[in-house]
Amino acid sequence: MITLTHYLVLSGILFSIGLVGVMKRKNLLMLFFSTEILLNAVNVGFAAVSKYYGDLSGQMFAFFIIAVAASEVAVGLGLLVLWYKKTGSTDLDSIQMMKG
Amino acid sequence: MQTPDITYLLPLFFVGVGAILLMILSTFKNINIKKGAIASLVFLTLAIVSNIYNLNTLGDIYSVYPFSDVFNNMIVVDTYASYFSTILILGGILTILIGLHYFQRRKEFTVEFFSLLLFSVFGMMLLVHANELITAFIALEIASISLYIMIGFEKVIDKRIEASYKYLVLGSLAGVFFLLGSSFIYGATGTTSIGEIGIFVSNNIDSNMSLIILGGTMILITFLFKIAAFPFQNWAIDVYDGASLPVTAFMAATFKAAVFGFILRLVLVDFDLIRDFWDDMFVYIIIFTLAYGSFLAIIQKSLKRMLVSSSIVHTGYLLIAFVSIGVIGENAASSIIFYLVAYFLSALGAFGLIAYISSEDQLRITYDDFRGFSHIRPYMAAMLSVFMLSLAGIPSTIGFIGKFYIFTGAIESGNEILAIVGITATFVSVYYYFKLIAVMYFYRSPEMTDVPPLKGIAPLVIAVIALMIIWGGIGNTLIAYFPGVDFLIDMAKLSYKSLFIL
Repeated sequence: MITLTHYLVLSGILFSIGLVGVMKRKNLLMLFFSTEILLNAVNVGFAAVSKYYGDLSGQMFAFFIIAVAASEVAVGLGLLVLWYKKTGSTDLDSIQMMKG
Repeated sequence: MQTPDITYLLPLFFVGVGAILLMILSTFKNINIKKGAIASLVFLTLAIVSNIYNLNTLGDIYSVYPFSDVFNNMIVVDTYASYFSTILILGGILTILIGLHYFQRRKEFTVEFFSLLLFSVFGMMLLVHANELITAFIALEIASISLYIMIGFEKVIDKRIEASYKYLVLGSLAGVFFLLGSSFIYGATGTTSIGEIGIFVSNNIDSNMSLIILGGTMILITFLFKIAAFPFQNWAIDVYDGASLPVTAFMAATFKAAVFGFILRLVLVDFDLIRDFWDDMFVYIIIFTLAYGSFLAIIQKSLKRMLVSSSIVHTGYLLIAFVSIGVIGENAASSIIFYLVAYFLSALGAFGLIAYISSEDQLRITYDDFRGFSHIRPYMAAMLSVFMLSLAGIPSTIGFIGKFYIFTGAIESGNEILAIVGITATFVSVYYYFKLIAVMYFYRSPEMTDVPPLKGIAPLVIAVIALMIIWGGIGNTLIAYFPGVDFLIDMAKLSYKSLFIL
């Protein structure tokens, strides 16, 4: 029997994978993948809680979050193409000219 | 008399429709930057007029849920939101007016830029109107995504792209924490509506609150990131420095006000009873924010980076009042709102004037570049001095009144240590602000002729801001029967009250 806890654990695991990805990956494309994983981890949580309470609003939010994630990546990929045309690299280290 | 629901939403409507129309208009070849700026100013003016109309006609305190059967109480229009919307729309208007000279000089800027600016203002307004966590998230993302593009708009300059990239990656990571926090709160309470969470918390205060506290902490992480407080401040200098100056002014002045507007509503309405949990954490965050921000501001050579670092210090001052809310709710909340207005004016003026000065090709960047500036452009130097005095919090400017309310509030609420740290940071800030004044007035440098002379609309607007800063500091005592800053603080108190009527 799969309960709410299982879904929330899945959501937690996905979130950790995404978080490690954002911290460790050096490729800019992979960075966006990791952000997507993070957002979808939250989506799983929202959908599961929504089913648990019998309240549809959680599932509705998941759709909104997907839309937001898509628009974020659209901007990100645009920048990535721009940067690749300029420097021929999608590496994170190539983008560190200014130092805090 | 029953007012139609659409009246409440007219300010949002004008800005949103204006943004979409400008996006369509930008495809026409004969719409140049100037026409685009005028069109966006028309929409913003319509929005601010309808907003002030709402503030005047709906009574002192109001709180309504327009189209509540369609929007399901996700958007609230109250005195609080209208007050913040006025600040935000004003921020948009002033940014366009001040930056117009700069935008016209740079080839990269097109009409789409104004559309994005309007979208960003729309997102921020939606954020302060949001009565629901996911609505707030979407509003935050509308504002942020428009800002990401605005930062990277001049795509020939590598620095812009880098700044945009850093903000995009880190900003979306911070946004995810907000979502995780709301999903925790949704899991614990079964609702994401701000009012209902507050009711749930007060009904179940004796039971286990750990999930709500965890979710609240996640949301506060996003909040601290967006306002660039201590552990999450490193992005701010690079991003603000990489962005073009009018965009930096817009971000520093307006975005911070919007984020504070939402988080104050959330904390005051929802977490009123469990706020003690975060108080200790905030004390350390404030001390580190003030200390580290001051340190960063001292070591900077570039004027823009100094102003950005000092904006971290100003975040620290605002957070002092944020902690005092627990004891003296009304005064602390209104002092935050007042300080936001004061900082908004000073920062917009300072960044705007530097943007105007550097809008010609030769950039004026470091302190040394401003050597003897007062001998060439005395009026500009005087205005810049007014902004520096206000940012440092010298009496007879609005910045002093703002700091006065915050520090007295901190002492009243028993946070003397924070008041002492804050006042020390103010002393330190005199060093880096007055360095500029000293450099401008006490040195001579003959080879400076490339400063644009005072012409066009931008210097006029900046001068008006400078006068407002001085008027805000002394207006009350000097001229009797003349509305001074008191009305600002009274409005802030009314808007605080409007949060709690159901």
